[in-house]
Amino acid sequence: MNHIKSDVPELIQQQGGLKPDVSKQVSRHTGVAEADVYGVGSFFHLLSRSDKKLRVCTGLSCQMAGADKVLQAALDAGLPVEPCSCLAACDQPTAVLRDREVIPGVQVEEIKQTGGDWTKLKQEMSPGGKGWLGHIGPSVENDGDLAINLAGAPDWSGTALRMALTRSANHIIAIIKSSELQGRGGAGFPAHIKWQAVQSQSEPERYVVLNADEGEPGTFKDRELLMRRPDRIVEGLAIAAHAVGAKDVFLYLRGEFAYPKKSIELAIQQFRQRGLLADLRFHSHSGQGAYICGEETALLEALEGKRGMPRLKPPFPVEVGLWGKPTLIHNVETIACVPEIIKRGGDWFKNLGRTAAGTKLYCISGHVQKPGTYELPLGITLDELVESAGGYIGKLKAFCPGGASSGFLPADKRNIALDFQALAAVGSMLGSAGVIVLNDTVDMKWAVGQQLRFFEDESCGQCAPCRIGTRYLREAVNAELNGSATMHSPNLKFAEDVAWQMNEASICGLGQTASLALTSAMTYFPEDFQ
Amino acid sequence: MKLARNQLTLNGKTVSFTDGETILTLANRMGVHIPTLCHDPRLDPVGACRMCLVEVTGFNRLVPACTQKATPGMEVITENARITRHRQTLLALYMTDHPQDRNAVEKGAPNQLLDLAEQYQAPLNWGRMLPIRSARDDDRNPYILFNADLCISCARCVRYCAEVERVSAITLANRGASTTVATADNASLLDTSCEMCGGCIDVCPTGAMTEKMPLTRNHKPERELRKVRTTCNYCGVGCQIDLNVDDIANDGRGMVVKITSPPPGTTVNDGNLCVKGRFAYDFIHHPDRLTQPLVCNENGELQPTTWDDALEKAVNGLQAVAKRYGADALGFVSSSRCTVEENYLMQKLARAVFHTNNVHQCAAT
Repeated sequence: MNHIKSDVPELIQQQGGLKPDVSKQVSRHTGVAEADVYGVGSFFHLLSRSDKKLRVCTGLSCQMAGADKVLQAALDAGLPVEPCSCLAACDQPTAVLRDREVIPGVQVEEIKQTGGDWTKLKQEMSPGGKGWLGHIGPSVENDGDLAINLAGAPDWSGTALRMALTRSANHIIAIIKSSELQGRGGAGFPAHIKWQAVQSQSEPERYVVLNADEGEPGTFKDRELLMRRPDRIVEGLAIAAHAVGAKDVFLYLRGEFAYPKKSIELAIQQFRQRGLLADLRFHSHSGQGAYICGEETALLEALEGKRGMPRLKPPFPVEVGLWGKPTLIHNVETIACVPEIIKRGGDWFKNLGRTAAGTKLYCISGHVQKPGTYELPLGITLDELVESAGGYIGKLKAFCPGGASSGFLPADKRNIALDFQALAAVGSMLGSAGVIVLNDTVDMKWAVGQQLRFFEDESCGQCAPCRIGTRYLREAVNAELNGSATMHSPNLKFAEDVAWQMNEASICGLGQTASLALTSAMTYFPEDFQ
Repeated sequence: MKLARNQLTLNGKTVSFTDGETILTLANRMGVHIPTLCHDPRLDPVGACRMCLVEVTGFNRLVPACTQKATPGMEVITENARITRHRQTLLALYMTDHPQDRNAVEKGAPNQLLDLAEQYQAPLNWGRMLPIRSARDDDRNPYILFNADLCISCARCVRYCAEVERVSAITLANRGASTTVATADNASLLDTSCEMCGGCIDVCPTGAMTEKMPLTRNHKPERELRKVRTTCNYCGVGCQIDLNVDDIANDGRGMVVKITSPPPGTTVNDGNLCVKGRFAYDFIHHPDRLTQPLVCNENGELQPTTWDDALEKAVNGLQAVAKRYGADALGFVSSSRCTVEENYLMQKLARAVFHTNNVHQCAAT
């Protein structure tokens, strides 16, 4: 293997970010052209803005809990701070990033106590406390009917892996097929089709990639999984690598996941100490602050040390993936379902679900009593999910069923099954199952503005429909919110055409879905847009 | 209808394609126009500008014609209501982020985005956004100006610099709406690996990359100039160049105000030029330039004369030296700026006419 991974982003990080002359030094070290190094560094916010030591999450859930006040307090205190996109702590608002560590549940008071010294904002000060764990459900160990079982003790026995190693690739793929496991990252694509496609390539060098670049506003399940059940993930990866004939596994965790990264690295050691994973090489890689790298081909570009701009598909990664080799790339949760499927069989997993196969980690945040991560049968309704989470706060007005990309649904859609098919049928999607609940205190135009700013900030800028469209829609909504609309400013009366263009012509899912927050809200809540 | 192995239908017509051919190349060959912005035949297609999307049966989404390979039996549609809506809404979006007044912004090459917006009657009433892309206004290089307001982030310049010149002096920098074209640390091009070939100007579809000299001298935009094709005389390669002539400048005598390269695929240099061919044209109208033959008078001062007289003086002088000191007293030095044919004639003159091998040229060793 010629390239394990490119060092460019890491080397920029080691130099303290993209400061003057860093491009030159990294270029000298790697042979990558100076300008290309600069292009990479300037793409990633954790590299390009290394002078900002604190970043306040401005995801919708944190904003609903008053993130703006925390940010303003930090600015008033003269701290080196900036707003940032969702930090995957929507259950514990307001989240603040300190260097590369997330501090959940930060209050204005804590910011004031720093006395203008950012280093005084510490993890211990926050109620989330050690290890950044949130509410989970079921909260006690339950061995019977859960594929993941977040509350369960880590299992280092490798039983599923040992079973898999005695079986042929085709046999394992047949089990995955019979389980009807769908990808948990957002698209719900049948997992076995990817496994089969990689396994049947004529190229002998194949890779497995773990997509742990969790960043969809409203989503934090992978964080819980990485910290509570890294055993499931590592074992699943090893089984997948065996099935598709890969010897190298790449872990791509978002840069803000310092704790989850430690957790999964320790898990790999645990298995190694027990003589498992003998011939597998694990390569872990930290993202540098770019939501778009959760898009699988952008992730591959970033792993190759380039700007995280999605590739055109086809070809798909199963044929042309990392360094051009066939690559199986899965979301954390998808992979974590694998060990129990192997142990207990495809039918067992399939029957766990209600309207589709398996249990599902639902993240819930916003106006509910106990925001958190709940493992429930795939296809439950919003009311059932909220019941697990202690009930609503206030009167339900709207909800995002699957992150910012899924748009908004009104309260009267509360009985729809939260699965891939039923939500797609109403023009939404399950996506990452990051459910955000909004009560009737929320102005939908304001909520839409939060989502649109996120997409504008996170657009990679490669294709015009997304690069220009996300900004256009955000400016149009802002103009309405501020009452600053003029004849010459972007205007919501063109929103339908802009949204059509973004959906029709954007290269990747970000641009294709970014307008949904606006168009769905305008459809279901016209009174908020008058 | 049964199609042969290498056939597909293009707007309902059966056409044959060659192996590996893209829809765009095939359509161009068949005289079917598909608009593009980020495409250049010298570069790997990237499908980023989204202008060339067409409909292909079996694909839910519109497909970039520049990247999609032709396959047997494919049904391609390049004109219908959906594609018209796509082109109009895409161009309308581009125009919210781009100056619209042609007279104000089209100082150099024709702006292909404005052309397309006109051609497809894109709505121009969607409002405007303030430019936010960073430029390098303090770049002290004498030739290349980057006007970020006109940039559409198609990356043709960046890809040309990397793929054709293999120089990689520039990059796409930042992201999202702030995406721009930059050098490392925003240094002047003079402090990068840039060779000043100006290819970035040649490939730019909107004039965001443009020549500094015609701009600072207030010359007319390219549209108002007459192109005269000629051969670059800086070396023997024979690159074709287009002199851009303002016929009424220079008191009506005409003036070469800039040089551009012919379109790729049409001449030996495939649209490429070097720093000298593209930018070093000030000698053309320089007062020191020799524009007529000169010979010395009795006082040793150079005086204008006719070609016949000048050549006769040269012949007499050469023959006199040869007669008095022998042919090897003569030496013939020509230049790599001459063409191969001219250099051939020079050595012929030395060897066959004056019978000496004393002939040299700076590119001969």
